[in-house]
Amino acid sequence: MIPGKYRSVSGRAANNVNCGLHLVIQTSSLPEKSKVEFKLNKETPSFSGRLLQHDLERNYSSRQGDGRVISPSPRNKSSCISSTTNVTELCGLEMKTAMSSLSAFGDSSIQTPSKSRIRQGCHSAGPNVSGDHITLASSSMPSFPILQRSSEEKILYSDRLTLERQKLTVCPIIDGEEHLRLLNFQHNFITRIQNISNLQRLIFLDLYDNQIEEISGLSTLRSLRVLLLGKNRIKKISNLENLKSLDVLDLHGNQITKIENVGHLCDLRVLNLARNLLSHVDNLSGLDSLTELNLRHNQITFVRDVDNLPCLQRLFLSFNNISTFESVCCLADSSSLSDITFDGNPIAQESWYKHTILQNMTQLRQLDMKRVTEEERRMASVAAKKEEEKKRESHKQSLLKEKKRLTINNVARKWDLQQHRISSIAPNQDRKVSDCPQDPSQLRGSTVSAFPEETGSLDSGLTSALQGLSVTDTHLVEVDGDTLSLYGSGALESLDRNWSVQTAGMVTTVSFTFIEFDEIVQVLPKLKIKFPNSLHLKFKETNLVMLQQFNALAQLRRVDQLTVDPQGNPVVNFTLWKYYVLFRLSHFSMQKINGTEVTQNDMIMAERLFGILAHVASSELPQYRLISILGDARKKQFRYLLETKGKKPGLVNEENSDSKRLVGENTNRATLNYTTRDFYNERLEEIKEKKKFCKMYMEDLVKEATEINMKNEALQKLWPQMFIELVRDAVIEIRNKNSYMKLCLQQITDQK
Amino acid sequence: MLSPERLALPDYEYLAQRHVLTYMEDAVCQLLENKEDISQYGVARFFTEYFNSVCQGTHILFREFSFIQATPHNRASFLRAFWKCFRTVGKNGDLLTMREYHCLLQLLCPDFPLELTQKAARIVLMDDAMDCLMSFSDFLFAFQIQFYYSEFLESVAAIYQDLLAGKNPNTVIVPTSSSGQHRQRPPLGEASMLEGVEASQFSQCLENLCDRHKYSCPPPALVKEVLSNVQRLTFYGFLVALSKHHGINQALGALPDKGDLMHDPAMDEELERLVVRSRLHRTSRQHRAEEPGAFGFQRRDKLEAPESMPSASASSPYPYRWEPRE
Repeated sequence: MIPGKYRSVSGRAANNVNCGLHLVIQTSSLPEKSKVEFKLNKETPSFSGRLLQHDLERNYSSRQGDGRVISPSPRNKSSCISSTTNVTELCGLEMKTAMSSLSAFGDSSIQTPSKSRIRQGCHSAGPNVSGDHITLASSSMPSFPILQRSSEEKILYSDRLTLERQKLTVCPIIDGEEHLRLLNFQHNFITRIQNISNLQRLIFLDLYDNQIEEISGLSTLRSLRVLLLGKNRIKKISNLENLKSLDVLDLHGNQITKIENVGHLCDLRVLNLARNLLSHVDNLSGLDSLTELNLRHNQITFVRDVDNLPCLQRLFLSFNNISTFESVCCLADSSSLSDITFDGNPIAQESWYKHTILQNMTQLRQLDMKRVTEEERRMASVAAKKEEEKKRESHKQSLLKEKKRLTINNVARKWDLQQHRISSIAPNQDRKVSDCPQDPSQLRGSTVSAFPEETGSLDSGLTSALQGLSVTDTHLVEVDGDTLSLYGSGALESLDRNWSVQTAGMVTTVSFTFIEFDEIVQVLPKLKIKFPNSLHLKFKETNLVMLQQFNALAQLRRVDQLTVDPQGNPVVNFTLWKYYVLFRLSHFSMQKINGTEVTQNDMIMAERLFGILAHVASSELPQYRLISILGDARKKQFRYLLETKGKKPGLVNEENSDSKRLVGENTNRATLNYTTRDFYNERLEEIKEKKKFCKMYMEDLVKEATEINMKNEALQKLWPQMFIELVRDAVIEIRNKNSYMKLCLQQITDQK
Repeated sequence: MLSPERLALPDYEYLAQRHVLTYMEDAVCQLLENKEDISQYGVARFFTEYFNSVCQGTHILFREFSFIQATPHNRASFLRAFWKCFRTVGKNGDLLTMREYHCLLQLLCPDFPLELTQKAARIVLMDDAMDCLMSFSDFLFAFQIQFYYSEFLESVAAIYQDLLAGKNPNTVIVPTSSSGQHRQRPPLGEASMLEGVEASQFSQCLENLCDRHKYSCPPPALVKEVLSNVQRLTFYGFLVALSKHHGINQALGALPDKGDLMHDPAMDEELERLVVRSRLHRTSRQHRAEEPGAFGFQRRDKLEAPESMPSASASSPYPYRWEPRE
């Protein structure tokens, strides 16, 4: 029954000196006769029973339940017996039943061999049983029986006393046995430890399978080395203060919820707390000699303080509730630990279990009762590395995902706020068109400055991986396959970045979310340059409210598909919007709008609806206006370049025409362009200025003109009279011919 | 220039009143704005073109709202341009919302105020159900009244409110029995008596208003005619009556009669040409898409297409152009 492994370890264990008990285990082929010799010997300190204990527990725990459970009927019986019976005979104080006492170390209570021997030894129960060696007599106090042994018994077994299965409900008063070193009360119904304080030489006390509820009455037993209290009803570890030399403490099968009051037991080497109600392991410091700790069958979720046990070699944590390595990570810091079990824990089900444990606890020799081989260790380290990497990767992924989600939420909130604020600022104007009165540059500035950006390191990795994202609080840029997604106005700045040629080439879809369309318009030229292959544009929550806004898209190189989400884009509610898009962007020959294929009929319809507009715009516009509208755009382009050089984003306008586009697009449509609100307002201001000047200038001119006109008119009025007067004067002058001739001649001679 | 009124006013005021100054100012302003371009083809040419376009009414296209509403002529021109450009929308039978009409207006005048469109829609819809759909002609005629006479209507609204509040200081007119009194909305009966104001009283006030109003207002005779048909009326009732009165439309002169609203043969012909061309354009583009090396041609045929394509010849989508160049 005892595995060979066990014996091999026993030799090693025997080297551990400093033990007052020596258990010699003899194994024969017949379990019936297997006997254990139990010696109390200070000088030969070897204790290997603990090994057996473990085996026993392992063998029987599966078969048996808790061992703590005692049905009420025998208890009643026993109390009845104890009251009626005065004397109990204890026959055959057989020290060779150590097997059963040893079994007390384990969880199991009943063992056939020991039982049979006890039967053979004592037929207890009746008062007049044959072969009386021990007499339990009533003492002066009615409840305590007094134990007396015959003298020959005393001589034979001077240092040991076994009161097994005597249906005792109380400890009897043991008289004249001060030299006792071993006392066995197994399988009784004792509820309280008492009447043994005089046995000061006691080394071994076995109270296995009783009904003790509190540890007490042991304060005088200073030499006690082995205390077996398995299968009782103890709720708390207490009153062990004076048992300084305790070597083995067995408390298995009780109701203990917490490890406490054991710090002073510096000689304790074996502690059994299996089958209790522990929820965690803690408070272990001070147990400097502890080599074995049994914690099987508890509800332990985490383990601490184990690294404070310098001698701990074996730790049994089977059948608990440990699910992560983090909760037992202190084990990795223990250098002495060589044997550990985790079976029956959730952690043992994990794929990473074995290699994680082995990776972290290189000192281990046995895991779950199996020897750890070098091969396994190697495998573990490899697997652990892989696992680690995978975990890190997935962690990173999930982190990014979460971050992305949060950022999008944040951007959405900001967007809503902004929309709301704008509408509240301009309540008399319409909400959707009212973005003009707000000074957007200021608004943008405040939001951006409140959340400093932190793009950079994250980003470099993603461009190469083509899959990833850069996150800041106010916006999000994501490249996923062929889609570039921009959330929040700040994301537009990412277009300034140096995108790798590969990434830029891959991107065919650009989606804008939570960005003012007017802001998008400003970066369209950049988009055209940086992502020349972008064919599909998506807009969601971009404040597309007017048909004319689509004009701005005409400046792009190519657009095959356009998706405008109705959310945050009221323009989609218009019946004409698709036709207008088709009409205005007809030079792209678009394939799909909002996922619907564009048909020839759609194109014709668009032309029918808006063709005249284009015709009027191109043919009826006076030449100078045509030039100015188309030229304007060119000028603005130039201006935009200047402004971006000066790092002043904001009031930049982009119109849909540059010299190239005139070629790619129907000229008659080029006049239909879109000016962003900001710029338009700015231009209106400019015009106002000019108008003011013109007005003054014209006023002066007209005044001058009217003045001249007035003078002219006055002159016109006077002129006939003047003319008559002039003629009259002339006639009077030449009336006298002779004198006039004289005068003339005179004048001529004077001149000479 | 030589109308007798000229003599009644000093020159400057006369010019201002006739909006000559406005156009002169604007012309100089435009000149200033496009100095470089205009200097290339001559200032005289520019002024010729400018005043020609003013005469034709094309000067308001894509101009700012402040200019468009500056003179009655500009307003009428804008109305006409709007009708001309979007007649097709009406012809197609689409019913649109106020917002969509507003968008169409903004295609011609980017900063056209929503307020005006809203007011016009209110005339059609008579209440605040502003999301209702309107037919093109309803909207257009209501818009015409609202836009062309907006200052006048504002004054009228003020007068109406005064009358409604019963505080007309000047005149308390004893209602003379009118024959038309029972003709309007007989089923409403008493209810119609309760809402609105006395038509005759209102008419009197408007007459006064027309006399002293410096902005353009509808011909007083026609206003009187509108008002003489009913005994009581509401403000919007009045506006609706104005907008539906074809005499006022004629007097205004910007739009054709309601019956001829969808009729514009010259433009229709032009449109047919455009449609045919766009069809060709599309097919040609599709060809091109299949032919990757053809980008060199794109430039050329694009530019030449408008001139080279006669309106009717839909048959030959210039296949000769696809020959590779030698």
